[in-house]
Amino acid sequence: MLNSVVAGLTSGGVYALLGLCVVLTYRLVAVVNFTMAAVGAMGAFVMVSLMDAGLGVWLALPLGVAAGAALSALLGAVLVRWFGDHDERTKAAVTVAVYVAVMAIGLRLFGGTTTGARRFPAPFDTPAFTVGGVVVPQSVLVSLAFAVLITVGVGLLLNRTLVGLRLQALSERPATAEVVGIPAPRLAVGVWAAIGAVTTLVILLVAPRLGGDFSTLGNLIATAFAVAMVGAFRSLPLTLAGGLVLGCLEGLSASLSAIQQYRGVVPFLVIVVLLWWRSRHEVWDTAHSR
Amino acid sequence: MKRSHLAAAAAAVLVLASAACSGEGGGADGPIKVGSINGITGLFQTPEVPQAVKAVFDEVNAAGGIGGRKLELISKDDAMNPQRSTEAAIELIESEEVVALVGSSSAVDCGLNRATYSNAGIVSVPAIGVDPACFTSPNIAPVNPGPFKLLTAMLYYASETLKHDKVCMFYTTLPGSGGGIDAAIKEWSDLTGKALTVKDTSVGQGDPTPYLVKAKGAGCQAVLYNAQVGPWFAQAKTQGMQDVDFIMGANSYTDANAEVIPEGMNAYAGTEWQPYTDETLPGNDRWARVVDGSKIQKTAFSQGAVMAADVFVQVLKTVKGPITRESVTEAFKTMRPIDYPMVGTPYVFGPGEAHNPIEGSRFVKVQDRKWQVLPEDFIVPGRK
Repeated sequence: MLNSVVAGLTSGGVYALLGLCVVLTYRLVAVVNFTMAAVGAMGAFVMVSLMDAGLGVWLALPLGVAAGAALSALLGAVLVRWFGDHDERTKAAVTVAVYVAVMAIGLRLFGGTTTGARRFPAPFDTPAFTVGGVVVPQSVLVSLAFAVLITVGVGLLLNRTLVGLRLQALSERPATAEVVGIPAPRLAVGVWAAIGAVTTLVILLVAPRLGGDFSTLGNLIATAFAVAMVGAFRSLPLTLAGGLVLGCLEGLSASLSAIQQYRGVVPFLVIVVLLWWRSRHEVWDTAHSR
Repeated sequence: MKRSHLAAAAAAVLVLASAACSGEGGGADGPIKVGSINGITGLFQTPEVPQAVKAVFDEVNAAGGIGGRKLELISKDDAMNPQRSTEAAIELIESEEVVALVGSSSAVDCGLNRATYSNAGIVSVPAIGVDPACFTSPNIAPVNPGPFKLLTAMLYYASETLKHDKVCMFYTTLPGSGGGIDAAIKEWSDLTGKALTVKDTSVGQGDPTPYLVKAKGAGCQAVLYNAQVGPWFAQAKTQGMQDVDFIMGANSYTDANAEVIPEGMNAYAGTEWQPYTDETLPGNDRWARVVDGSKIQKTAFSQGAVMAADVFVQVLKTVKGPITRESVTEAFKTMRPIDYPMVGTPYVFGPGEAHNPIEGSRFVKVQDRKWQVLPEDFIVPGRK
């Protein structure tokens, strides 16, 4: 059983990365982004498709990341241009619609689970060390390091820099931000592009562990939301911890035969329990006004 | 609420009544209309299946048709959408008045439409039976072994051909297929006297590492597996499981999957028809000729399509008198077994309440990111 928990823990890093992307988007542009994983998967598949066509990895990687960034920027531009004054719910609904569209297009372009499986480069595949019966590859350490980098880096960016201050203003009071002279639309689209780029990198990093086809990668959004929920869509460190907890829970549930059938439900249970826990002392009206 | 119930009941009565009246299956001298329900868009895509069935029909038509009548295929895309699948079946039976369904390939058709087919007295010969209901219905008999017979063959291959004592199973299961899986395992146990070392049917999405660690801990020598290929093998390699024989089902037998399995891993797949990657195998020459002639994608699914169409044509030729839905159904229910070289056992429809005529599997193994056909012929459990 200990081995299973350790095995689950090794996936904590990749889960944390997914959650961090969601929280990142929410902190920076105040949108619950359902398209996140699908956009990242689009970028990742552009990259592997270019590699299949004979392009070297160092040329394909920036092109793939650029594709993810461009798609994300396009979505951002739509949201800023046409839905800038709408509330969060409407924006989330727009991303749901776009998610459905991107998934359908991706499925057409890149095939389903069996015919569309692709080989993703796994440069950090070599074993780093062994715990009990579990081999821990370098990629686990890389994922964790990347997750910590995002957590600390974005934390510093938001709290210590002028750009960060402007981004916070933009996220929380977009109209006011524009009135005081922050170039809101341009900044927002730039942030969307950066999020798209980071998400593509994250999807590339998680693909060898979590899925090699478009629909599986695009649907990782459910897991990502579960992890982001631990940090209440705000706290980056808690989100990082959430990823590790989710990994542990999955490992544990795989080892206990009584509950292994329900392993897939774990992320949703985490969401439900956390929603309940967070709202236990809340008063309506104030609590839900963000 | 009440009114909508009434309307639904009225509609159902109408459908039943018209089903009872429209057993003609086209006129006596127009084309013989044949239907199929295929996933063309959506999550389960098999556009090559209706194309291949049509190619066989074109061949028959070019040679003068059946008794001077041409064969016409009417294929409906259900996009794996239950609503569309149900509508497609009713439309084919009611409006198009097809005489039979041949070469269906839908993940939802059998389960939804089995009662419709029984009520209309029409037979369906799917190219690919996907869901369990395809193998447990009185009016459906697919030309593939299906998931359960295939599982028995895979277990048999692991324990008898590869001679492993510790056979484990890590599966993802569809709702409602648990009973079929247990029955398949029991069939294998009864034949060999062996039992599974680990049976885990909870594999889903997410990191496969906990399962691999569990298999490693249990000392599994052979692992039967049917879920996502890429991450499973990437992580199995990381965990150093190069000495384990991983045996996958026919759904994993695709070129894309062979590409994603890392070097050094032992990955097998049980196929439902002669492996399509080798055109010199018995029966594959005909299939290759048909699909090449019409420039159709070469997949295992198109093999099922050609076989379903061939079987249908062969049975159709035995019909005495006018070709109608009744006479075609009668011909299938009383047909003699057909030896078809692309599968392990003869195909027969017959009168029973459930049909799973094709058994056994031929195995392939990944070598240098390509599937290689293994020398053993079809492994049919219990057949020496």
